Amino acid sequence: MATYHQEGQTQLPRADAVRSRLIDTFSLIEHLQGLSQAVPRHTIRELLDPSRQKKLMWEDQQQLVRFSIKPQHTGQISQAQRLLSKLHVRCSQRPPLSLWARWVLECPLFTNFIIFLIFLNTIVLMVEIELLESTNTKLWPLKLTLEVAAWFILFIFILEIILMWLSSFSLFWKSAWNVFDFVVTMLSLLPEVVLLAGVTGQPVWLQFLRICRVLRSLKLFARFRQIRVIILALVRALKSMTFLLMLLLIFFYIFAVAGVYFFAEYTRSPHQDLEYHMFFSDLLNSLVTVFILFTLDHWYALLQDIWKVPEASRIFSSIYVILWLLLGSIIFRNIIVAMMVTNFQNIRKELNEEMAHREVQVKADMFKRQIIQRRKNVSPETLRSTHGKTDDSSRGAIQQKENLDLSEVSKVESIYEATEEDIITSASKPEMTLSKKKEYQSSSSVSSTSSSDASSSESRFSESVGHLDWETLVHENLLGLMEMDQDDRVWPRDSLLRYFELLEKLQYNLEERKKLQEFAECQITPQVSSSPSSCLPIPFCITGS
Amino acid sequence: MDVKRSIRRKDDEFRAFVKRVIMSCFFKIIMISAVGSNAFFTALWTSYDIRYRLFRLLEFSEIFFVSICTSELALKIYVDPTDYWKDGYNMLDVVIIIITFLPYAFRRFLGKQFTYLHVADGMQSLRILKLIRYSQGMRMMITAMRQTVYTVASVLLLLFLLMYIFGILGFCLFGSQDGGDYDNWGNLAVAFFTLFSLATVDGWTDLQKQLDNRDFALSRAFTIIFILLASFIFLNMFVGVMIRHTEDSIKKFERELMLERKMTLMEEKQVILQREQEEVSRLMHMQKNADCKSFSELVENFKKTLRHTDPMVLDDFGTSLPFIDIYFSTLDYQDMTIHKLQELYYEIVHVLGLMLEDLPQKKPQSLEKVDEK
Repeated sequence: MATYHQEGQTQLPRADAVRSRLIDTFSLIEHLQGLSQAVPRHTIRELLDPSRQKKLMWEDQQQLVRFSIKPQHTGQISQAQRLLSKLHVRCSQRPPLSLWARWVLECPLFTNFIIFLIFLNTIVLMVEIELLESTNTKLWPLKLTLEVAAWFILFIFILEIILMWLSSFSLFWKSAWNVFDFVVTMLSLLPEVVLLAGVTGQPVWLQFLRICRVLRSLKLFARFRQIRVIILALVRALKSMTFLLMLLLIFFYIFAVAGVYFFAEYTRSPHQDLEYHMFFSDLLNSLVTVFILFTLDHWYALLQDIWKVPEASRIFSSIYVILWLLLGSIIFRNIIVAMMVTNFQNIRKELNEEMAHREVQVKADMFKRQIIQRRKNVSPETLRSTHGKTDDSSRGAIQQKENLDLSEVSKVESIYEATEEDIITSASKPEMTLSKKKEYQSSSSVSSTSSSDASSSESRFSESVGHLDWETLVHENLLGLMEMDQDDRVWPRDSLLRYFELLEKLQYNLEERKKLQEFAECQITPQVSSSPSSCLPIPFCITGS
Repeated sequence: MDVKRSIRRKDDEFRAFVKRVIMSCFFKIIMISAVGSNAFFTALWTSYDIRYRLFRLLEFSEIFFVSICTSELALKIYVDPTDYWKDGYNMLDVVIIIITFLPYAFRRFLGKQFTYLHVADGMQSLRILKLIRYSQGMRMMITAMRQTVYTVASVLLLLFLLMYIFGILGFCLFGSQDGGDYDNWGNLAVAFFTLFSLATVDGWTDLQKQLDNRDFALSRAFTIIFILLASFIFLNMFVGVMIRHTEDSIKKFERELMLERKMTLMEEKQVILQREQEEVSRLMHMQKNADCKSFSELVENFKKTLRHTDPMVLDDFGTSLPFIDIYFSTLDYQDMTIHKLQELYYEIVHVLGLMLEDLPQKKPQSLEKVDEK
């Protein structure tokens, strides 16, 4: 292990990372072991390039290709597209019926037609209900048209369901919206079928089923994207609250059963004018009463009624009611509200993240342009010193500068850390970044305050004060820059090796410079803190140089 | 103590066996089914009709449940007498057993006509709480709720204080024996109930009407101020406090999850990097490479095989032009900063030097002053 690094050099995680990147890119280990045949020398982009492909195929058929695939989001692939690329569809003489059914279903004309029919169904139903009781004979043709329209709409809905079954039967049942559609349509179909079969009894039940026609308007929920989002948000919020609701149900049970026993005397008492006499008589009644207490309705009247009976002990009944009120209606209800609020906040945050992602990309684009511009007007101005700005020559400024130095170094580290996509590389770096992160935090706060002081002169992206804005700018735009679609980065191989070597050496050099800096500083700072009477020759040496 | 230890040593195997039995799935299933069925039958017990018809079945299930509970308690205490009391759910078990034995105890020792017998009967419904320990989700929920207990308790205490103040005030104003509203404000307990009814704004108009009938001057102001304070402010403060707590706990949970994931990832990376280093050093120690003293010599041969015209297409950010640009800019800034720092050091040292030159003149002066004294 000692011979891994140069002699007398400390272990530097960043340099190690560069080296392991080098090893990995060139597959050095396999090469040095003599397995140069097993080393991939081409990437997949070279293979797909038609100009290079022929040359590659002629050179050596056993060449190995390095695969590095970045998954790209191409958007929604509809089921029809998938079906189109299947082999049996392409090879058959006539396109299958499912393809045509899917095309019809996705055609915007058809979907708008269905939406129009749903609205029409609602209106027809409204008018029909109004005219149900009237016996005006002149309105009879109108009633007939309404009835025919209702039947026609139902027929079209059934047709739509059959079309969906045609396109793919198994997928139909996997989507909850489709199942809901099916249930609603069947429910409104049921009374008609029953009527046709000739069952005459129990007209109230039939009447109720007819009114289920109105449920058809609920089909609207599946069509509009906005409503879907809201309903999905609601369902998610409810899902996360299942345990809470179960706990609430358990408490309902406990208090209901206890209530039957506690108020047995009250139920059995022969007292005459008791308003809520039967409220705790049975388990079902007790459940309803517990729910009434949960909604805080007339609880004091109930309690006073119970007090009228002398055998029911006042203490226990008051304890029961007050305890249930505190626990159920005050605490539980507020917990439910709190969970709903946090869930909705989370859902909104997720929806916003998508938009924020896009914004980050736009900003990264601008940043890239700025960098290119900046490199053009570089160098002579960078070394212009700004003594006027740093008028506090005390240790505070030194500390700030050191922090800035260290933080810039840590920024570079974080840049490099973020660049590694390979698992191998950036393992040991986080240790350094973690230790430097604290300094970075303090420095960023210091830099933000000092940037607010110093931002008076420069508002644009400029060099002299710019280095205070630089870090935050880089930090913000880094992620977006990384994810941007880069043009092909083509390197000549030996230049690439040289680049990695130089980068590694640069890290060592930077480390050495930092050490020298620290050495110089620790010679000076003891002098600043101690009394001026104690003099040492060392400061004179440095003054001389 | 020694005797106990020797006893323990002898039946360690049996203890381990019993412990395995208690932790097993089968035991859990028995417990869950016993508690569940007993809860169901307790619900059925409430109706006199069903009790009359299914008396034997219900009695049998009752005996079954009690026996299983006590044996579970005995087994668990036998396995671990000292640690048993640390778990909250075990304490709950003990409390429920005590509650279960209460009706028997009352009937046996205090006779059948004891007035609070039905209270003891009613408390049997608490048995269903034994089911909570078997469900992971419920346990998490209970631990989450436990953290909100302190804030809830403090808000309730504040509410109690407020009600106390207004109760005394109301009693003095409205509760006198003659001419006052004795029923609702006569003593402190009734006054509390009235105030709680106002706080939950249930039927408060009736109470207000009672006060109006007796023609009290301040009653309206009193009631309205109390309702504003208690119902609008305090009871809604609950909601705010709970929201903050749930948000905090969810954020903490997510942060811990993120941290855990990062730690495992870093460990994996560490392992892989370690392995690679070992591999390379091993290569350098190998026989044919014995003369190579450093890594760069090792790859000399490899470098010679690389041709300049051989292109290599790379995908990662580290070899892209924007990265190089950013890196150079950062290095430039770094250089600038260090340059400034060095100039600052020179200045400091220069100032110190000047101070040192001034010093020898001050010293003899101070010595003279000392001599004078």
